[in-house]
Amino acid sequence: MRKAEKMRIVIACIVGAMLFTIVSARLVDLHVSKHAEYSRIAAEKNTVRQTIPAKRGLILDRNGDKLAVNLPVHTVFADASHITDAEAVSELVARYLNLKPSDVSQKIGTGGKYLVLKRKVPDETVLKMQAEMSERNLRGVYTEIDSIRAYPNNSMLGHVLGYLNHERKGVQGIERTMEKHLAGEDGYRYTERDRTGREIVLYRGQEQEAKHGKNIRLTIDMGLQAILEEEIDATYRDLKPHTVNAIMVDPKTGEILAMASRPCFDPNNPGSSDPETMKNRSIIDMVEPGSTFKIVVAAGALNEGKVDEKSSIFCENGRFFYGGRTLKDHHGYGHMNVHDILVKSSNIGCAKMAMMMGSEKFHEYVRRFGFGERLGIDLPGEIPGLVHPPSRWDKLTITRMPMGHSVAVTPLQITMGMSVIANGGHLMAPQIVKSIESQDGAVERQQPKVVREVIPEKTAHFISNALAGVTQTGGTATFARVNGFNVAGKTGTAQKVSEKGGYAPGKYVVSFVGYMPAEDPRFVCLVMVDDAQVSSGLNYGGLVAAPIFSRIAERSARHLDLVPTQPAIALQPDPITVLFDAEEATR
Amino acid sequence: MNPALQPAKPQTSNPIQAANLVKFVALAFLFGAIGLAYVFVKNQQFVLAEQIRKTERQIRNVQSRNEVLIAKVTELSSRPMLQKRVSEKFIAVVAITGDKIARLTPPATAVADGVMRTAFNSEPAQ
Repeated sequence: MRKAEKMRIVIACIVGAMLFTIVSARLVDLHVSKHAEYSRIAAEKNTVRQTIPAKRGLILDRNGDKLAVNLPVHTVFADASHITDAEAVSELVARYLNLKPSDVSQKIGTGGKYLVLKRKVPDETVLKMQAEMSERNLRGVYTEIDSIRAYPNNSMLGHVLGYLNHERKGVQGIERTMEKHLAGEDGYRYTERDRTGREIVLYRGQEQEAKHGKNIRLTIDMGLQAILEEEIDATYRDLKPHTVNAIMVDPKTGEILAMASRPCFDPNNPGSSDPETMKNRSIIDMVEPGSTFKIVVAAGALNEGKVDEKSSIFCENGRFFYGGRTLKDHHGYGHMNVHDILVKSSNIGCAKMAMMMGSEKFHEYVRRFGFGERLGIDLPGEIPGLVHPPSRWDKLTITRMPMGHSVAVTPLQITMGMSVIANGGHLMAPQIVKSIESQDGAVERQQPKVVREVIPEKTAHFISNALAGVTQTGGTATFARVNGFNVAGKTGTAQKVSEKGGYAPGKYVVSFVGYMPAEDPRFVCLVMVDDAQVSSGLNYGGLVAAPIFSRIAERSARHLDLVPTQPAIALQPDPITVLFDAEEATR
Repeated sequence: MNPALQPAKPQTSNPIQAANLVKFVALAFLFGAIGLAYVFVKNQQFVLAEQIRKTERQIRNVQSRNEVLIAKVTELSSRPMLQKRVSEKFIAVVAITGDKIARLTPPATAVADGVMRTAFNSEPAQ
């Protein structure tokens, strides 16, 4: 071989070797030095973190009726990089989703990979749209499953259930307080997609299953709730009050059987509701309770031995001058025992019992009955009410507080206070959640909780007997009677506190809180009507609230299948209706 | 003549070694078969994965439809809806006579004086 030929071969080898070295160096650079960077880019391009949404738990009543359910909907989005025929896709999507084709086209034109076209699209619409896309061989529009909360009973129980915000977080009611149980935990899955956007199942990576939310079973009985709501709806319509509240409680367990307020709102559409209607007034409104508060002073005075069943208290014939003011009774009474003081609802008799107890002891009993403290119901926004300590009382407070003035309480506190008498002396914690039920069937029951022993059973029985007399002839609440049953309860009529201070003339908050059957109470029910549009002469707890209680109690007895124990009484017409009819007739 | 100077006899044996060739061909077939099997299995995996994806989607759709139907049934059987239907006379509430009610607690007898007797309908259903 000639020397020149050898030289050429050597040069060719060197050039070849250099080229291979360069290529190899680049390969090493790509595969070793920049491995992490390119792996990340590749992963970003192909691997996606797919969220597996957790289902929100249902809310059920005590019998399993569904009160809040999930309705599947879809979020429709487009990946512009997958769209080949933008015009056809825009036209089709716009038609199904009720959008303008130009808007869809403009969005697709931005070239994004995740362009949300519409949220909360019903399942049927999506199925039809996908079928047509498949038929016309169009791609680039995808959906993600989402869900919205639906409340099938509309406004019924709306204050208790609450609603969700746009992030699907509970903002009111049980939805808020039970958020951590209801929400569950979203799962995830790392997976890869091909160039058309379809998942390559074979290349699925790490995966975490979703933990679905737990179902919440309430203590509410929808049968009783419907009765309660129908009756207060009628009251709200006929008497046009500012508000109406009603609560029904099982006194032995503290379970809330029904709870409603008017005005109310539809949790399916909270955005269009007036914020004022969204307040659960049973726990966030405080009112002067009026005479319903007299059970506290009577129980306290009996329990402290300041009076006994036979003690006679002089009721000053209806006018008691004390602290520079005159305290009046509705009628003038002379000497009365504790039983009659409650039956006749004597302000003077109760004031004297409180004076016998002394301010410190009386205040202690007010607090022991649960007034001035949050009772701990599983609903947001409960307020403690307002009970001033004796150090802040003026001279008149000791005579005013026993009749339910100079104190502010919530409707729930009044109901639970009456439950103390009904159940033999225990203050029960109000319970709205009966159990928390996992998807796997595990049930976590909430047990009734005794907050404290307020009075002995004997004292409670004595007060209970007196309260049964309130609904008998001569009592203040004969219209609360229910045919076939012994009803115990107490009326309350309090002048409404004005926003400007003092009392609003001619405006009253009237109430009746009672229980039935008096011998073995199955429920305690409060009806409170704020500023009913009736004449002042009619605006009393015994005339306005007691008949509503009677109707609720009668229907509830049927629902609960209570066996009547009392002889028949003549049926009484509603006094307000009778007077309305009489007024109509004279016009 | 010196035998060493004699021309070599023509070779009569076949230079291709059949045994080796068979081995080679068998090996080639084996590797080929393994390769094809790998491709086949991989293909099957993709087909199965695609079936899994489709089945999952079907399950999701069925679950979704089921939830929609549950929500509809709940709405249709809710109290406000039933009451609306009753008021429209679309459905009617028929009283169940007392003798048709199985009771855990003894029933109270209805009397003619208008006394309420809970959940006891003495009038026969129309």
